[in-house]
Amino acid sequence: MMELLLSWLLATIPLIGAFISFSYWSDAERVKNSSIICSILSLVSVVGLAGFLAIPPNGCLSLYILPLAALTSILSHPLGSDHRLSWVMTLVCLGFGMGALTAHELSGSFFLMMLLITLVILLYRHHTALWPISWWGVGLLVLGLVGMGISMIADPPVSSVAALVTCAVLLPLVPLHGGYLTTVTRLPGNLPSFVVVLLPVIGFQRLPQILATIPEDVLVIVRTLALLGALYAAVKALAQSRVRLILSYGSLSFFSIAWWFAATSGFATPQGTLLVGAVGLATSGLLIAWQVIRTRYGDDVDPQAISGLAAAMPRFAVLLSLLGLAAMGIPPFGVFAGFMGLLLTSSQASVFGLFLTLAAWLAASWYIMQMVQQLLFGASRSDLRYTDLLNPELVSLAIVVVVLLALGLVPSALFAPEQPLLEQATLARELFSWRN
Amino acid sequence: MLPLLMLSVPLFLLLASAIVMFGADTPRFRREKLAAFPIGLAFLGSVLTLYRVTSEGPIVIRFYDPSLSASLIIPLGFYVDRLSAVMMTLITAVSMLIYIYSTTYMYQDGHASRYLSLICLTDFVLICMVSSSNLMMLFLFWQLLSYLLYLLAHNHTHAGTLAGAFKTFTILRIADMAFLAGIVLAFQLYGTLEFHDLFARAAEMPVTFSLWPGVEVSGTTAVTFLLFIGAMGKSAQFPLHLWLPGSLFAPTPVHAMLHAGIINAGGFLINRLAPLFGMSPTTLHIAFVIGTLTAVLGASMMLVQSDIKKTLGFSTIGQMGYMIMECGLGAFSLAVFHLIAHGLFKGTVFLYCGNVIHKTRQDPHFPHIDHAITDEPAFSRLTWSTGFATTLFIPLLILLVTHGVLRIPLLESQGTIIILFFIWITSSQAILTLTRLRAVASWKVSSTMLVTLLFIIFTYLFAVESFTAYLYPNPEEVASYFKAADLPDWLFDLLILGATGLTVLGWYYLYLRAHGQSVWTPSWIERVRIRLYPLFMNRLYADEIYRSIGVKAGQLIHRIDKLERGWSR
Repeated sequence: MMELLLSWLLATIPLIGAFISFSYWSDAERVKNSSIICSILSLVSVVGLAGFLAIPPNGCLSLYILPLAALTSILSHPLGSDHRLSWVMTLVCLGFGMGALTAHELSGSFFLMMLLITLVILLYRHHTALWPISWWGVGLLVLGLVGMGISMIADPPVSSVAALVTCAVLLPLVPLHGGYLTTVTRLPGNLPSFVVVLLPVIGFQRLPQILATIPEDVLVIVRTLALLGALYAAVKALAQSRVRLILSYGSLSFFSIAWWFAATSGFATPQGTLLVGAVGLATSGLLIAWQVIRTRYGDDVDPQAISGLAAAMPRFAVLLSLLGLAAMGIPPFGVFAGFMGLLLTSSQASVFGLFLTLAAWLAASWYIMQMVQQLLFGASRSDLRYTDLLNPELVSLAIVVVVLLALGLVPSALFAPEQPLLEQATLARELFSWRN
Repeated sequence: MLPLLMLSVPLFLLLASAIVMFGADTPRFRREKLAAFPIGLAFLGSVLTLYRVTSEGPIVIRFYDPSLSASLIIPLGFYVDRLSAVMMTLITAVSMLIYIYSTTYMYQDGHASRYLSLICLTDFVLICMVSSSNLMMLFLFWQLLSYLLYLLAHNHTHAGTLAGAFKTFTILRIADMAFLAGIVLAFQLYGTLEFHDLFARAAEMPVTFSLWPGVEVSGTTAVTFLLFIGAMGKSAQFPLHLWLPGSLFAPTPVHAMLHAGIINAGGFLINRLAPLFGMSPTTLHIAFVIGTLTAVLGASMMLVQSDIKKTLGFSTIGQMGYMIMECGLGAFSLAVFHLIAHGLFKGTVFLYCGNVIHKTRQDPHFPHIDHAITDEPAFSRLTWSTGFATTLFIPLLILLVTHGVLRIPLLESQGTIIILFFIWITSSQAILTLTRLRAVASWKVSSTMLVTLLFIIFTYLFAVESFTAYLYPNPEEVASYFKAADLPDWLFDLLILGATGLTVLGWYYLYLRAHGQSVWTPSWIERVRIRLYPLFMNRLYADEIYRSIGVKAGQLIHRIDKLERGWSR
């Protein structure tokens, strides 16, 4: 009962915040400020109340990351009356997301359904000439919604498979990744940089229950799809020229790796949560950095047309480089720590699978590096005005970098349940099927 | 006290980096000069650490407990033994010189602060890497080094520099992937990444597994092979050597640092994991083959390059091949000795090469004085006999003297025989080249050269033996590495005989040609020679192949992308 109350409280704080922000609608600055304050309050309340909640088997890192991502996402966004909706909707999504993460069974499902409905409405209403409406993406989100409904009313194994479909829409798994891609590319304002954390984190949080009940045959399919997906997404990311697509396919590749490890071992570990959270946060940071460019040079500007930022915008260059390193999976950032944690503690089904995951990890060096290089290096253009980061942008990007660094370096016990690394390794060795 | 002394070394370098990086623009030069002091202190700290480690044993500092759940995912810790202390001293010494040189060299550069700060940061990363207490931390700094090499290209507005830097980063990442796979495999098989625990467990529980039916690989071979690929990348071994010539646009002091320090990372890694590599003869043999191939190709390509930086670059590739070959022979300490000697030599040459270019531009001689047409003196029988005596008797003298006086068991392992063979070749080649160039026909000069050469070789062997005893105090350990690297007898004899025959034939051919005598050679040899020359001059067309693969891969990726459209559009 207490837990249910707390989860409703955690969900209500951002929702009330959204309501308060909405009441200041005519004053954009007040809407933004109140949204920031509500995100901070949400973060503080999570820190204060997390101890009273039951810790899920894959750790409670997700709880901390969500309000943090909301905060950095809103903070970095430039002031303007066009962006009011996205700030308020960020709080709404945060509220539903917190509810989906902390509440169980019916309440959790209710919050998740509300979140998906909100996203579908936003995608339906918001589209531009550059990013026209994607019925495929919207349809997949609706499929997730339907899966949610079926999982609530049907018996196993149908309910498990339906829940798995919803999970595959949230934490993108090929071929159900279209919903995720659509939200990252088409949602208005700062929402993409928040949703890129929100959806995968909720999806991974729901995975342990599903993996425990799913038939082995379905797991084999999931494993195959995850491996193919990691490779497919890496190839797609390499072929893209639009930054949002590079980032969404890049993150999809890493999320597929998380899927593969979870489906191979049959359980979702805190290391998996770390990987998913860190990938989401790094992608969010890169989307914020891209937002900085869009603010100055227009929506969907060709990155090849902007070059030489390293000399003209040194603060931006340093932070973008660090975010790029984090997103590529280079130590000592959280993405590497999560990836390495999974590699060391999960039982590998095949050397081939390990090779493919490493290849996907390696491919990130090309597409992320190429993107960062196009922006930062090369000759500066004399016809462009360069303005380095404004304070809110600097603070939000710095927060993301520091958190990613902390995720790579802090003791794992701070966000994971008691699971000695060596014990996990022993377990992994016992399960090591290909060794004599 | 001792741990603090050790920790002060990387911290001083970090401090130097911060001094240069942060602060107002106006007193920039003063800050750059000021930062030289912490670097000097880091060198002093390294020397003291070396002294204390020699007398008191290794230093172990851990900021984690591997058995506790509160441990770090990336375990930070330091282990400084004699090998690490020697490397720390070398790195800080070279870094100090390079930094001081750079402050003047980059004085007029608008981004000098960034550059100098990155130099200090690279030194910090190198020091942390060589003093890592476990494989994970070593890998962490290994990766950071790959990225810093990308940044140190410095002039990122220049398209060629940028392309070279990107190539450096991506090729190193390929090698890093194998390194990572090796770490994962080591942990899965032995449950630890702590060096000593890893060696102990690998020795205690020999593991074999089947890659596919009929092909079984031992755990140590699989792990060391993957780690060796990682080492190949950093030490520019064929075919992962492409990044080194591609990075030649970077400022000259970066090359001094690269060729004197960073490129030695591969040799250091193999030495750090010597007990593990010593358990896998297969990997050592692979290292021998790769090293030999790289040495031959690197040296061949060096001979036909026309610019000084590329010549030095390929010389380094050849030397690194030689170093890896030494590792493949089980002569791990010799490889460290070699990398120190080569590092100091190549660092000096790089720092000086700008002066050579400058001087050439100021005071050109066409044709060059050394190559001016002079009257060739007649072929001297004395010259020939001196050279002949040198090639035959010097190795014999070395054998007798070292065997009798130093008590070095030169004939007890194949590794030492091969090393002796190379001493014979290089010393003979040196003396014969001198006699050929100068056509010396004097008993006094010839005998002085012989005695000097003998003295140098004698001293060198003595130094190598002392260094081996310093790094690996247990002679049985050294002998076990040599034993592990032993080749099958028939192959070994074939190699030695083949190499000797080829060398003597080569000398014979060159001498007769140099003195205007015609030598009959099969026509196909001449044809092959003509074809090989442009091949090596164009660096085996490796850059073109690399570019072509990149273009083909890009086309394939875009074709796949076009096939699948719509989901995200």
